[in-house]
Amino acid sequence: MNKKAKDIIGCISFMVGLLILFAVLSVIFVPKDNSRAAGMEAVQANGILGEKENTIDYIILGDSETHSSFTPMQIWKDYGYTGYVCGTNAQHLYESEKFLRQALKHQSPKYVILETNAIYRYSSIENAIMAKAENYFPLFRYHDRWKNLKFSDLGGSVQYTYTNYSKGYRFEDRIDGVENKQYMKPTERAKHITKINRHYVNNIINLCKEKHIELILVSTPSISNWTYAKHNGIQKLADQNGLTYIDMNLLQDQLEIDWETDTRDKGDHLNYSGAVKVTDWLGTYFKQSGEFTDHRQDAAYQSWNKDLKRYEKKVSGK
Amino acid sequence: MTSYVSILYLLIFLPAVLLVYNVLPKKYRPIILLLASYAFFWSISRKLLVFLLVSTVSIHHIGLWLTAVQSERNDVLAKTERSGKKAVKALYIRRQRWIVFLAACVHVGTLLVLKYSGFFGRNINALLQTAGVGLSVPILKLMMPIGISFYTMQAMSYVFDVYRETKKADKNLGRLALYMAFFPTIMEGPICRYADDAEQLWEGRRSTLENLTFGAERILYGVFKKIIIADRLNIMIKTLYTGYADYDGGMMAVAAIAYTCQLYMEFSGTMDVVIGSAELFGVVLPENFRHPFFSKSISEFWTRWHITLGTWFRDYIFYPLSMSKPLKKLTSKARKKIGNHFGPLIAGTMALFVVWLFNGLWHGAGWHYIFFGMYHLVLIVAANFVEPFTREFLEKIHIRREEGPYRIFRMIRTALLVCIGELFFRAEGLRAGLCMFNKMVTQFTLCSFTDGTIFSLGMDKLDFIVVILAVLFVFAVSVVSEKGTNVRRLLSTKRRIIRWAVCYGLILCCIIFGAYGMNYTPVDPIYAGF
Amino acid sequence: MKEQIIEILEDIQPEADYETCRTLIDDHILSSLDVLSLVAELEDEFDVTIPTVEVIPSNFNSVDAIAAMVERLQEEG
Repeated sequence: MNKKAKDIIGCISFMVGLLILFAVLSVIFVPKDNSRAAGMEAVQANGILGEKENTIDYIILGDSETHSSFTPMQIWKDYGYTGYVCGTNAQHLYESEKFLRQALKHQSPKYVILETNAIYRYSSIENAIMAKAENYFPLFRYHDRWKNLKFSDLGGSVQYTYTNYSKGYRFEDRIDGVENKQYMKPTERAKHITKINRHYVNNIINLCKEKHIELILVSTPSISNWTYAKHNGIQKLADQNGLTYIDMNLLQDQLEIDWETDTRDKGDHLNYSGAVKVTDWLGTYFKQSGEFTDHRQDAAYQSWNKDLKRYEKKVSGK
Repeated sequence: MTSYVSILYLLIFLPAVLLVYNVLPKKYRPIILLLASYAFFWSISRKLLVFLLVSTVSIHHIGLWLTAVQSERNDVLAKTERSGKKAVKALYIRRQRWIVFLAACVHVGTLLVLKYSGFFGRNINALLQTAGVGLSVPILKLMMPIGISFYTMQAMSYVFDVYRETKKADKNLGRLALYMAFFPTIMEGPICRYADDAEQLWEGRRSTLENLTFGAERILYGVFKKIIIADRLNIMIKTLYTGYADYDGGMMAVAAIAYTCQLYMEFSGTMDVVIGSAELFGVVLPENFRHPFFSKSISEFWTRWHITLGTWFRDYIFYPLSMSKPLKKLTSKARKKIGNHFGPLIAGTMALFVVWLFNGLWHGAGWHYIFFGMYHLVLIVAANFVEPFTREFLEKIHIRREEGPYRIFRMIRTALLVCIGELFFRAEGLRAGLCMFNKMVTQFTLCSFTDGTIFSLGMDKLDFIVVILAVLFVFAVSVVSEKGTNVRRLLSTKRRIIRWAVCYGLILCCIIFGAYGMNYTPVDPIYAGF
Repeated sequence: MKEQIIEILEDIQPEADYETCRTLIDDHILSSLDVLSLVAELEDEFDVTIPTVEVIPSNFNSVDAIAAMVERLQEEG
């Protein structure tokens, strides 16, 4: 064999060896449980991994708007439907896709709600490449666990035990209001959605089609974030893909959001009283769809009743 | 792309250019490099590319113009008799000087306006205010194209070299353009010389296996330095420098040393990536660092740190100034009065003053940068001034400078002086720097090391351990390299298992211990802002 | 001439071996200020003018190089 061929084979073997090392180390570095102590990130959103198999009726994806505006425990209390908010601060669409994919390994929801703020979040090519690399080799995401590796990580298998009693919702009752005003001024302009983001939305659409899940786009009320131009951009996207789009910013007469009392940070995010209104609307929407069953008396779902008790204690401030 | 140490550059851009470069026939290779360089520039500064293009075209024209004037002079000289030659030479020198002056106005002028108009404007306004004058100068917010401080110096060095006739003007606009825009050097240097580098850039040599492995290894080493050491120190340094009022003198010392470490690891690490990148293409760039912390004096330090900047100032400012007619006259008069050590020191100091004023200002428009320059000027001039006395004293007490404990003492002393300079360099303004320095000297205490403060700045015990071990590794490599061994060549003589183990080890260290990902904020390269 | 040059050099920077060294500039044995003093002395001693373009490493890296440069400049007049 001539030198050139030998050199090329040498390079290729080096790369292959490297990939094998990445794979082995990924197994070691992956958190063995979805709790913070085990090194899992975004534990509230990842709490869905600890839920019993096939017990979640709907999943909500998106950024901080989701965990401020939707409280699944309220829908459980009123209707007995189960849901989870896989929302994280400044969530990028590739993260939404990741949350959905991993949730669908053990859950079969009927609805997935994608909060539209994330669709306008700028993702650079670097972010996207890094995210893909992290999916193939979790070593890149969890490399910082070198600080807390234990012996059990070397051979341990992954078992998710943690779950969040408010199902991804983050309770906030602080009030920091602003003046109520008409902020959705009609316009013809449509805000542009980047190619990268379209790609991820398509991935989510295809994933939902595959699993026979209905994908709904929702814009939660936000007087400081949302505009009519953004609405138009999303409406176009929804029409192009045959998706239902609910813009809550245009449902003021049904929701009756009062921006002087329902926001925790001058109109960026809703607080608890705002979340109650939004969740109430969503619960009614689900009830009218007739898709879900009331599980409140179901023995398999008793943990939800237990969680409800803890949840009610928290929100009543005792 | 904001940095060379990024996925986009290292795993996408560089391999793609390398592949296309090697696949194409020889005559297209330099063109690929040129196109890639413009694409790289565009991805960072977009339309400001026009500044680089204008610079390139203008020095091309000016170079040819100077050469034309020079050949005209030669023709005239051939026809002139001996007695008239001097006058002819003087006439043509004057003409050439005007052309060089024009080039300087265009290039340095652009740099001055884009980079310093804000600084000058603010200071003029401050002066006007104190004088009670009601006027104020408007301060324009101007954007700078990336690398303008670097490519302007390359442009001027080309013009000066053609003027001095140490290099002929290049008719090849492409070659000149590549010299100006070459993507590894455009953002942070090294500052190249036309005579040394333009030709090999344009040659289009195919990459050999050694180019590829040595280049990749060097890049890996640079990434190691940056993401394990420099980036890991970043949060603590930001905390200390913005909130210096909350921390004691001991922490100020930590701030000085840690920043010097961060700066060195980041800048020299980036140079490793950049020089390694060029090496992949068979191009040898000048070194910018030579283990600066083994320096025994501040003068020596500046021959080992940011070398190409130092040599640029030496060749185009220090020597021309100190050996200009008026300063030469001054030197010879001074030599007669105060001897050959102190005589030349006067002209030397004056030239050094200009060099250090420019050096300070080159780094940025701020009084603390000027202070930084003057600080080093004073150290160098003082050391030179007392040189004969030091020598005498050391001889009397039988200490040999270049060996043993005294040598180590000199190295440590130099390193500490450098750290103090860097404290001012990084401080958020001159006032902050003076305050921090004052605290360090008058309120030094070890309290914060024992009461837990030091672990509250963004780095915990394990972070410190990793940084210290990594620094020791770099130190060990530096010691071997300083003794004259080429580390990569040494590695290539070992068996495959050892070579692979070392490379795998470095790569895995970078991935595991690198300060990137969800727990860290991204770090902007320090030198790209200059 | 070489002896004179070596004498001048030893006066400026005594800690080097001028007989054998060929990298006086490249190895930073002579600093820029040393070169300044050297040029001043050479100009005086040998009655030449050393312009800035001649202040390059290849002219100052060894005693031989310095001598060659001085001789050339003396001839050019």
